[in-house]
Amino acid sequence: MNMTVTRTQRSAAVAGRPGIMADQNNTDDKGKFYSEILSPSELFAARSRSHKIPVRGQKDFFPDDSDEQKQRLEQSLNEHWSLVSEERVERLGNLVKGEWIPSEQIVELQSPAGKFWQTMGFSANGKQCLLPEEALYLMECGNLQVFYQDLPLSIQDGYEKFLSANTVSLQQYQVFGHLKRLGYVVLRFDPSSESSSYARQLNLPQSRDRAGRTLKRKRSLSPAPSSTPTATCSRAEAQEECSTEKMEEDKCNEGEEDKKLPEPPEAQSSADEGGGRSWWMTDVLGDSDKDSGHGSKSVSSCWDFSSISFPDLGSTSREHFPGGLAPPDPSLLPGDLKVGFCDVGAWRQKINLRQVKMSANEQKKEKYRRRWDVNKNREVRRCRNWAEYQELMARRKGKREGRPAHLWNREVTPLHDPTQPIATGELLEKISVIKPTHLLEGASRLKDADDWRICFNVYQPDTVADFKKSNPGKPYSRMCVCSFHDPVPDLRAIKLLAYQSGDIPVVIAVVDYGDISFYTFKDFQLPTDVYP
Amino acid sequence: MATEGVEKTSEDAPAAGKASTRYDLEKETELRFEVESGEAAEQVELELLTGMAEVFGSELNRNKKYTFGPGSKIAVFTWQGCSVNLYGKPEVAYVSKDTPMLLYLNTHAALEQMRKQAERDNERGPRVMVVGPTDVGKSTVCRMLLSYAVRVGRRPTFVELDVGQSGVSVPGTVSALCIERPADVEEGFSVQAPLVYHFGSTSPGTNIKLYNKLTSCLAEVFSQRCEVNRKASVGGCIINTCGWVKGSGYQALVHCASTFQVDVVLVLDHERLYNELKRDLPHFVRVVLLPKSGGVVERSKECRRDTRDEKIREYFYGFRGVTFYPFSYEVRFSDVRIYKIGAPSIPDSCLPLGMSQDDTQLKLVPVTPGRDLTYHVLSVSSAEDGDEGARKGIVESPVCGFIVVTHVDTQAQVMKVLSPAPRPLPRHTLLIMDIRFMDMK
Repeated sequence: MNMTVTRTQRSAAVAGRPGIMADQNNTDDKGKFYSEILSPSELFAARSRSHKIPVRGQKDFFPDDSDEQKQRLEQSLNEHWSLVSEERVERLGNLVKGEWIPSEQIVELQSPAGKFWQTMGFSANGKQCLLPEEALYLMECGNLQVFYQDLPLSIQDGYEKFLSANTVSLQQYQVFGHLKRLGYVVLRFDPSSESSSYARQLNLPQSRDRAGRTLKRKRSLSPAPSSTPTATCSRAEAQEECSTEKMEEDKCNEGEEDKKLPEPPEAQSSADEGGGRSWWMTDVLGDSDKDSGHGSKSVSSCWDFSSISFPDLGSTSREHFPGGLAPPDPSLLPGDLKVGFCDVGAWRQKINLRQVKMSANEQKKEKYRRRWDVNKNREVRRCRNWAEYQELMARRKGKREGRPAHLWNREVTPLHDPTQPIATGELLEKISVIKPTHLLEGASRLKDADDWRICFNVYQPDTVADFKKSNPGKPYSRMCVCSFHDPVPDLRAIKLLAYQSGDIPVVIAVVDYGDISFYTFKDFQLPTDVYP
Repeated sequence: MATEGVEKTSEDAPAAGKASTRYDLEKETELRFEVESGEAAEQVELELLTGMAEVFGSELNRNKKYTFGPGSKIAVFTWQGCSVNLYGKPEVAYVSKDTPMLLYLNTHAALEQMRKQAERDNERGPRVMVVGPTDVGKSTVCRMLLSYAVRVGRRPTFVELDVGQSGVSVPGTVSALCIERPADVEEGFSVQAPLVYHFGSTSPGTNIKLYNKLTSCLAEVFSQRCEVNRKASVGGCIINTCGWVKGSGYQALVHCASTFQVDVVLVLDHERLYNELKRDLPHFVRVVLLPKSGGVVERSKECRRDTRDEKIREYFYGFRGVTFYPFSYEVRFSDVRIYKIGAPSIPDSCLPLGMSQDDTQLKLVPVTPGRDLTYHVLSVSSAEDGDEGARKGIVESPVCGFIVVTHVDTQAQVMKVLSPAPRPLPRHTLLIMDIRFMDMK
């Protein structure tokens, strides 16, 4: 019964130790167990050591230069140092062995995986592999020993080797570890696996055989699980492209059931663009002149009605038609008609002259109206056409209503004309300069940004028992990691994240050195108690 | 006087076996005849034997038989003299010398003179508004002037503002139509791609604000068309109006004159209206008083209703009910939104502060589909199917078609509709009319 126990260091705090260990290992002839065997007394001491993490206590906000504070700080600091420099004792049989493969940025297991295999790792080419953050976490837990070039890595080495821009950052790992310790299942987020909103709407089955992260991964196709962000991006795009194509196909196939059937052509043509007016205005009849642009703008000048003779029975001057109406020029008539004089006088007697029955009130109004004649006004007489007349009327109206003209004839005008009646709701809408928005509104049109991306899918601890890596199901939330010193995400970033995540909430983990706090943005609507 | 020049020649009856009557007309006289109205009434056929004649401005072909259905009131006018045959038994038929056609022709000549001037000076052509009380022949004068204009090679626009008796589309609408050929003697103008706006009722008085708004819409579209289409600009337009010439109806006429910027107003047989318009329109608008034709008959309420019904039937089944085959299908309530334009009026004291009654007249009021929707005519608005924001444009959007609700099933939440095109509806915004149509025939 050999008690084979290995020693690793909790952290990289004591710089000298790993080197010493490595030296010792090198001197080991067999080169099989790169570990120290503990004597029974040492083992007993390690076993009986307190495993409690020192309590940090109240936070001091301000140095008050007192000895008491200084002492307390020093003591706390020492406790932490001793904690991180402590040697950790594990049973050698419990340790899974793995090898770090830098070219692929993964850890390949060389002995069968333990219980952690249920929620971590993936198989490739018949080999069990771990992602670097998973390996590091397991190293910290004392479940894994990783070798590189036949040398075991200390935890400090793990931090140095595994965490990089190509894999996960330190902050991301801190969030990963934090969530793992709390019991959550944490998987890397793969944007390409996320179905678009359209696919969700169609209720397409989620395709789980994505390239990156499942059990049956083809290593040749995707050489690095931890490929660079740009690489993942382009792959995601490509996949999305082909998925949209597929969707379009689907749409065509479903056309028969779809509500939006091809519209009947005549109805469509009349309902086209902009409320269906333009067709009516622009259809050019036959051989219309092309030089219509100039001149036609000027609204008709006065016609010379003395030369254009209408058979007006009402005109009081009889001399207009002495002895009847002269025959019109045959060129004006259809079919080259030739007609003779027209006796207007005879018609004059036949016109309807009967009095209209009116009530007393109407008669009074009528009397008043008889005195009123627009053309008595000199300004009106001066107008030569409708444009001038309407301008005059508008001017008069403006004067009457007393609207301050200087506010309205410049480029910037008041938001609302007080003379125009408007419902309260509409008015509020009109004057609210900043419009409310929903998280998903317009997000599909935004371009991807690099500075914010979702890192992890998080699954709740109570689902661990039934958890399957091949079919993880819908995550509980998605995690986005940022530093306390990073700026707060803007609306664009939030919209993008929400769009990427779909109906699953995005949680932003803010890392402040060791402390992690979680924030999320939620859609909500301000109540308006205005009756529409 | 009316029987002058008539020879009854029943001996040369045509193969149809109908009684035939021959009329020889002198120059500048007209033959007026009416066909009995009612279901059982016999049709009357007209044939031009010699000479030249026209019906409301459209020339007749020689030796072609024109058929006129029940309720038709026709005047065959000749400038040079002609002889025609009538087959069948008209209710009345007589020849009259007493016709104002020469005055109308002179009016046309004056308008044509203006068009020539417009063409020469690169100006716009005359815009003419025809006004007058009911039953003075406004529509007929419009038809004549338009036909004459087309016959001399113009392309005038016909603007129909008579919501009660629309000559273009179904009643309850205002519309504009480009005229490219003279009216068919039997069918009237060929209705191709008219611009139609939903009004919803047969009297402008029910919502005068909306009426004026739609008039402005038409005027705006017409002006835009004139800017891009020189020929339409020179052709000008002829506006037919309602017979309501008092109070708000009169104000609507003045409003129409102003938005269309009319150059000539033709007042038919109403001197008081003539004088009022002379006072209320600026001096550069020529107001002309014209007599009505002696042949104009007063139409009863029933007669007007029948014509309206006929017009709607014509929309669905084609002229004389034979050309078109409409579709009937079910529409779910949830698929459409039905609105009525104009909220019911409420007393001023109940209105919010600062709001006036007029504001409600252009409001869209959602209609809950129910049994009382049955037989109503619905306009399919061409407004894009959008959410609340898009509702604003609905009033000013033209109509792309009409449907009639034939049956409502409140249990299944569906209604059966009669539609000129197969399903689905091109748009899902429907506007309800006060007008109902029962598909009895």
